[in-house]
Amino acid sequence: MGRVLFPQNVADAMKGGWLFLLCVLMLLPLVTSTAAMGAETAEQAQAIPVPNPSADLWRDVRQRDGIMTGKTQVAGVDSGALINPYGETWRNFRMRQLIPYSGYLLAGVLLLLALFYFIRGKIRVNAGMSEKKLFRYSLYERMIHWFIASVFLFLALTGLILLFGRSLLIPWMGQELFSLLASASKEGHNLFGPVFAVALLLIFIRFVRRNIYQKGDLTWLLKGGGIIGKGHVPSNFFNMGEKSMFWLLILVGIVIVGSGLLLVFPVFGQARLTMELAHVSHAVTTLLMIVVIMGHIYIGSVGMEGALDGMTTGYCDLNWAREHHAQWAERCEQAGQVVSEAEVSRLRGETAGGHIPPAGAQESGQ
Amino acid sequence: MIGQLIDGPLWYFSLGVFCLGVLFRFFTILRAGLKPDLAIPRAGGAPGALRNLFTRFIPRRDVATRGRLTLIAGYLFHLGLFALLFFARPHVDFYAERITGFGWPALPYWAFIISAEIAFIGLLLLWLHRLLHPVTRLLSTADDHIGTGLVFLVMLTGCLALAQSFEPLRLLHLFLAELLLIYFPFSSLMHTFNFVFSRGYSGAIMGRKGVNA
Repeated sequence: MGRVLFPQNVADAMKGGWLFLLCVLMLLPLVTSTAAMGAETAEQAQAIPVPNPSADLWRDVRQRDGIMTGKTQVAGVDSGALINPYGETWRNFRMRQLIPYSGYLLAGVLLLLALFYFIRGKIRVNAGMSEKKLFRYSLYERMIHWFIASVFLFLALTGLILLFGRSLLIPWMGQELFSLLASASKEGHNLFGPVFAVALLLIFIRFVRRNIYQKGDLTWLLKGGGIIGKGHVPSNFFNMGEKSMFWLLILVGIVIVGSGLLLVFPVFGQARLTMELAHVSHAVTTLLMIVVIMGHIYIGSVGMEGALDGMTTGYCDLNWAREHHAQWAERCEQAGQVVSEAEVSRLRGETAGGHIPPAGAQESGQ
Repeated sequence: MIGQLIDGPLWYFSLGVFCLGVLFRFFTILRAGLKPDLAIPRAGGAPGALRNLFTRFIPRRDVATRGRLTLIAGYLFHLGLFALLFFARPHVDFYAERITGFGWPALPYWAFIISAEIAFIGLLLLWLHRLLHPVTRLLSTADDHIGTGLVFLVMLTGCLALAQSFEPLRLLHLFLAELLLIYFPFSSLMHTFNFVFSRGYSGAIMGRKGVNA
């Protein structure tokens, strides 16, 4: 048994005191900080506002409506400009307009395509798929088509990761993993950019002749290409829509390639402002191209029966050609270029013991 | 842990499999021997073999015209890959540190990038040709596609790791390169070395027959 130092009532009072003291100690920082804040507020209320002289200095340096260039020993583009106010304009445009609105645009187009599919359904070949075929694309044409397609998809994916990653991917995968993905995307995007330029050039050289506008194209456009309504509008090897897409891809592609090269190779004396403009034009034109390609992929895959065959096998269905490219189909029929499906299978080596097509015909597309 | 495995034991294992596998393939080819040729040779076999080995780098005119695309794409890919493999700065440093103990002049960065780009252009076109041409499509086996795919992935991950700022990207590239090394000796990728035997063999036969082929 320990010795009793204090009577019970004194001991109880001391216990209560210790508890009170503990509470005071715990609350002290809060109280002192609040008191300090109160004191600061009071001090601030009493303080006389003194203008910061450096604020005026930097305001002058910044020159909100232009870039003030000074003299410097440092050789280089923009080295004389202490502050480029357009950088903030560009940043704000990217964060507040480009990223949200382009996100809405892509989601909206995706939604529209889905809606269109549910309303219109797959555009069937009215006469049904025949057992006769027409040779449409040579091996070389199919190769360069899929070449530019694969490179474009890679560039679009990496570009979209760079554009939307911060807002969409970081909350999902965290900053550390995203920084790795962003670095990989940037390097891949920069490396494959010039490859896209080569692919675009190959496409242009091969397809330009067949994409020159001709008589009847406007009629096709005015009738909505047959998508609106039931009737089919006759067209040539390429219809007005395909030709317009070709020229859009070429012209927009030139802007994309040009602005991309300006961004990847900042060694030609381009100023920061030029880089900012290049970035904006690169992003806007690329989004336009992605939207167009989404439509292209839709028609080629689920949107239209028989549309993909030409680009996979080289041959298209005769009835499909009659309904969508009547003028071209008629010419082919008159020239006796219709082949049976069995013959196509034999040419492609798909039937047992089948022969293979002459290599020259495949290579040249004849 | 995984990084240490990729950087250490797996690297040495894959290098060992590659070296031993290639030597084993050489041994099996040489062990197969040649059929005895009882005919009186019109000329020596060795000059024919050497001639065939080097002249076949330039295809005959009709072949070059008909298969111009595969010819150009083939040269783009192989030359680009060769430059990348042996003259890219990161690779030269890697070989010097892990294998040879000495380095050699590397390509400048811009030339390295252009090499990668022409290698990619060539590889993609060749792969598409393999998929779309009716003859090559029928001739191609899963082995061809796996080999092409692995080479493509190794090249791609190498390019994605160009910034050299992220260890996982470098490890991914190294891991795929190790898979390629293990797969290499047992696949059609052996044509890297075997073309010497096949060209030499047919050149020697033609040479002995006195055929200028």
